[in-house]
Amino acid sequence: MNRSGRKHTLKFDPRTELLLLVMANVVAFTQHSIWVEIAWVVSLLLLIIVCGCKKAAGKLAAAFGICLLLQYYIFPNGPKILASSFTILVSYARKIFPCLIVGTLILQKTPVRELMVALRKCHIPQGLIIPLSVTIRYFPALKEEVGYIRDAMKLRNIHGIEKLECLLVPIMISATTTAEELSAAAVTRGIENPAHKTSMIVMKFGGQDFLCLAFGVMFCFISIMVG
Amino acid sequence: MIEIKDVSFEYEKEQGTLSHIDLQIKQGECVLLCGESGCGKTTVTKLINGLIPHFVEGGTLSGTATINEVEVAKTEMYRLAEQVGSVFQNPKSQFFNIDSDSEITFGLENAGIAPAKIKERFEATVSALKIRSLLGRNIFSMSGGEKQSLAFASVYAMNPSVFVLDEPTANLDADAIDILRQQIIQIKKEGRTIIVAEHRIYFLMDLIDQAVFIQNGKIARIFSGEEFHKISEEQRITMGLRSLEHPVLDLPHTDPPGTKIGLSVENISCAFDKQTVFREVSFGAAPGEVLGIIGHNGAGKTTLTRCLCGLLKETSGKICLDGKALNAKQRNKASFCVMQDVNHQLFSDSVWNECELSMPECPAERIEQILKAFDLFDFKDRHPMALSGGQKQRLAVATAILSDKYLLVFDEPTSGLDYHRMLEVSDMIQKLKTENKIILIVSHDFEFLNRTCDKIFDMEGCHSERRQESVRNI
Repeated sequence: MNRSGRKHTLKFDPRTELLLLVMANVVAFTQHSIWVEIAWVVSLLLLIIVCGCKKAAGKLAAAFGICLLLQYYIFPNGPKILASSFTILVSYARKIFPCLIVGTLILQKTPVRELMVALRKCHIPQGLIIPLSVTIRYFPALKEEVGYIRDAMKLRNIHGIEKLECLLVPIMISATTTAEELSAAAVTRGIENPAHKTSMIVMKFGGQDFLCLAFGVMFCFISIMVG
Repeated sequence: MIEIKDVSFEYEKEQGTLSHIDLQIKQGECVLLCGESGCGKTTVTKLINGLIPHFVEGGTLSGTATINEVEVAKTEMYRLAEQVGSVFQNPKSQFFNIDSDSEITFGLENAGIAPAKIKERFEATVSALKIRSLLGRNIFSMSGGEKQSLAFASVYAMNPSVFVLDEPTANLDADAIDILRQQIIQIKKEGRTIIVAEHRIYFLMDLIDQAVFIQNGKIARIFSGEEFHKISEEQRITMGLRSLEHPVLDLPHTDPPGTKIGLSVENISCAFDKQTVFREVSFGAAPGEVLGIIGHNGAGKTTLTRCLCGLLKETSGKICLDGKALNAKQRNKASFCVMQDVNHQLFSDSVWNECELSMPECPAERIEQILKAFDLFDFKDRHPMALSGGQKQRLAVATAILSDKYLLVFDEPTSGLDYHRMLEVSDMIQKLKTENKIILIVSHDFEFLNRTCDKIFDMEGCHSERRQESVRNI
């Protein structure tokens, strides 16, 4: 997938990224100091920049900046009605930024395959991982289907409220056949094999993973202490 | 050695039975299962890959099927999977991952093979089947042919001694069929057993050791490879089989554009996702004439269809109907496309309502007349999804006629059809000619095109250089 772009950038173990997501949550909901929060967001942004998500980092930084600006400049100085109706919304939006940043990193830079191997290594049961991976695989298929059906509706001049119903019927039908065919293919490939699963991907914690996790743990401590 | 001894089977929910099937297949043989749709050839493949009785619910089975003296019915599916690999007809519903590399190693990882060994099999698969161009790719960006190649590779990686292929070419074009042929030659050379249930036969002719002709769930005759070659043209038509030789297209070229009556496509170019798909396409088509459109995978046939039907705007050039240049919106009103998967375009809960949905103010007599013309009137209260494939296709055409569409485009109307069903589609299109419609057929089924079309337009040479390269890489 994103193979060529990844060579020159830093790459983390998917398990690190998942742990980082947990830490992002911990920090977000324990800290009460704006400075800890800014430092945390800035360091996560730097992290995803070195991982190669420059564009997304820029957008997220701008959005975070706008939130700060609203809360510390516009709300205190602007009309009261603005402050009273939007303060809660903006301060909660600000809280989810760390999760958004780590989420972006996972979505953009981690192939589904590696994520699955990571989950397996964390001893998540296979019965959960396979449905999850097939579900993820189904979304692009669904998008394709919807494209065809929309074309078909345009050719039949179907408009308005009828559209929704007309979209659902063929999707349900194709989903049923797809599910049937997929499971037939799966059993002939031995999906029911109880053997312990292996992977061609070698997954190892590297120096960058430990460094990153140590940094994250440090932040968690600081935020709990300060908060 | 595969042995099927006096097997009879009856589905519980679906139609179709097998009665007293006896078949012996030696290791390393290539066996063709042929016969009309619904004759039971797919059911025979299921006896071998274990879907019967392990996956198909209900049903009554008698007799035994064994592979190397192991009884299929008494062996776990995952044990069978080590010996038998299956490739199915729909390339879209055979993969479980989003990237191609994971797909190739999926079966091995699932069976708990050691990573070093997986790597070895991975490399062996890639070089034996020559699929390096498929590596590291998003499966959703692949063509149907590439997906089928990948499905074949992921089965090959598991190193089974038996390959069961169930209509593997149903959705493939000539190039992709050729790639599949090369892959079959490779596994035959390696001494693997191959069982293929197929309508399209020409590409297998020189590889077949046995051809099993099935009729109404019974083996009507088993031909040796030699005997099968000697079948006369009349005999193969009474058997309902598709052409045994690679058909050659024998049709005159299309008219130049500029006609005042009918369709005139003048120098149109199209882009999709900011990438030019084809440029400077020109041709004409008269009403009452059937024009076939051919071209290799990636030549832009689908894009051209969408553009003609007004679902996509052209980047340059113009499209005229009866001498009047039409924009995308106007074309959308005047045209209809019968899609390859016709399930996408039937929305209603009965055949009759489906017709009313097209034309709410249409008088009942008109609907009745059209339904009768398409042999659908007896089914007017049925749910469209309960119809057969051919009936669904005719219903889609009927809705187009009701809403007075002038330009009708068929996208691969015969994919996966046997000889007689192909004739039915051909006859329906002949009937439409008399309605004075402009009919375009996008297809790579040359046998069908020869029967049905008056003229042909070849898209070769119209696609942009970039595309040409990517086609060559495949």
